[in-house]
Amino acid sequence: MPEENRDNGKNDFPYPPDFEPDHGCDPYDPNAPVPQEPQPDKQNQSSMQNLKEIGTNTLPDGKSNIHCLTIIGQIEGHLVLPPQNKTTKYEHIIPQLVALEESSDIEGVLVVLNTVGGDVEAGLAISEMVAGLSKPTVAIVLGGGHSIGVPIAVAAQYSFIAQTASMTIHPIRLNGLVIGVPQTYEYLDKMQDRVVRFVTQHSKISEATFREMMFRTGELARDIGTVLIGQEAVECGLIDEVGSVGHAVDKLKRLIRDKKQWEVQSVQ
Amino acid sequence: MIIYTPLYLELVLEGLEDMKELKTRQVELDGVPLVIEDTGPGQGKVVKLLSTNPKDYLRADLSPGTVIKFTQQWSKP
Repeated sequence: MPEENRDNGKNDFPYPPDFEPDHGCDPYDPNAPVPQEPQPDKQNQSSMQNLKEIGTNTLPDGKSNIHCLTIIGQIEGHLVLPPQNKTTKYEHIIPQLVALEESSDIEGVLVVLNTVGGDVEAGLAISEMVAGLSKPTVAIVLGGGHSIGVPIAVAAQYSFIAQTASMTIHPIRLNGLVIGVPQTYEYLDKMQDRVVRFVTQHSKISEATFREMMFRTGELARDIGTVLIGQEAVECGLIDEVGSVGHAVDKLKRLIRDKKQWEVQSVQ
Repeated sequence: MIIYTPLYLELVLEGLEDMKELKTRQVELDGVPLVIEDTGPGQGKVVKLLSTNPKDYLRADLSPGTVIKFTQQWSKP
């Protein structure tokens, strides 16, 4: 073994799980037998790199049949947002969903949401993709699932909201050039209808209730709309259940099992 | 394009005018075409994938934001 590699793995932290310090030999004795040191494996190296570069740690190996799709910050659409925004890029999420649909290892998708909304088109695109998956999907809203996060949350087959999580329902606002003609209003109304239609089709909330919440005054300081927290989102029929990650994974596993049973039955 | 968010748009779009155009280029890593942003000599950050293979998008080591390194290796002719 080359001299410079002697120390490899010894001074790295954390040690590889199977590393046992060898106290029996003198590293400076040229005649001493070179101990076989375990090389840090690839998984360990990449997880160390992840930890250093982006502060996240990869999970221990062991293939899961559930894929966790996290949607955080702003949903970035056709416009690259300034760097102070944390964003989820739809051009990466959409092919991921295609891969999940096609993959034979993945049996269910868990959508974890903590988003402040974002691009309407990108958000609706992700919602449609999630709703169109043939595999069981469960969404969980943690922290917040505001604005365009609402259709994504209801797109899954079953949705959970954490007890303290909130969802803001408010009208769409125009940004950029606004021309004061009736067409501007009509266009905005059409865009809003896309969201309303998707939400009412994929959840138990009625269109009248959803619109009433959207245009409610007195709840938000600088805007019209409603903030739903935990149980309130369940009571109005938007979300299926209050729960946390344990409930969500449990539900997803049950949906996967039901789907398998159904498939077996339909073959017989 | 419509941004649908409860955040104030001034906050979201702040600095949009001063945004520099990213210095990007297209490279290939393990046969996957990528767009990377140069972050230093021999180093780049993944901006997006251009692959048409959906499986590539599930690879954690190629997700946007990952730093990749360009290394030259000596080899025998």
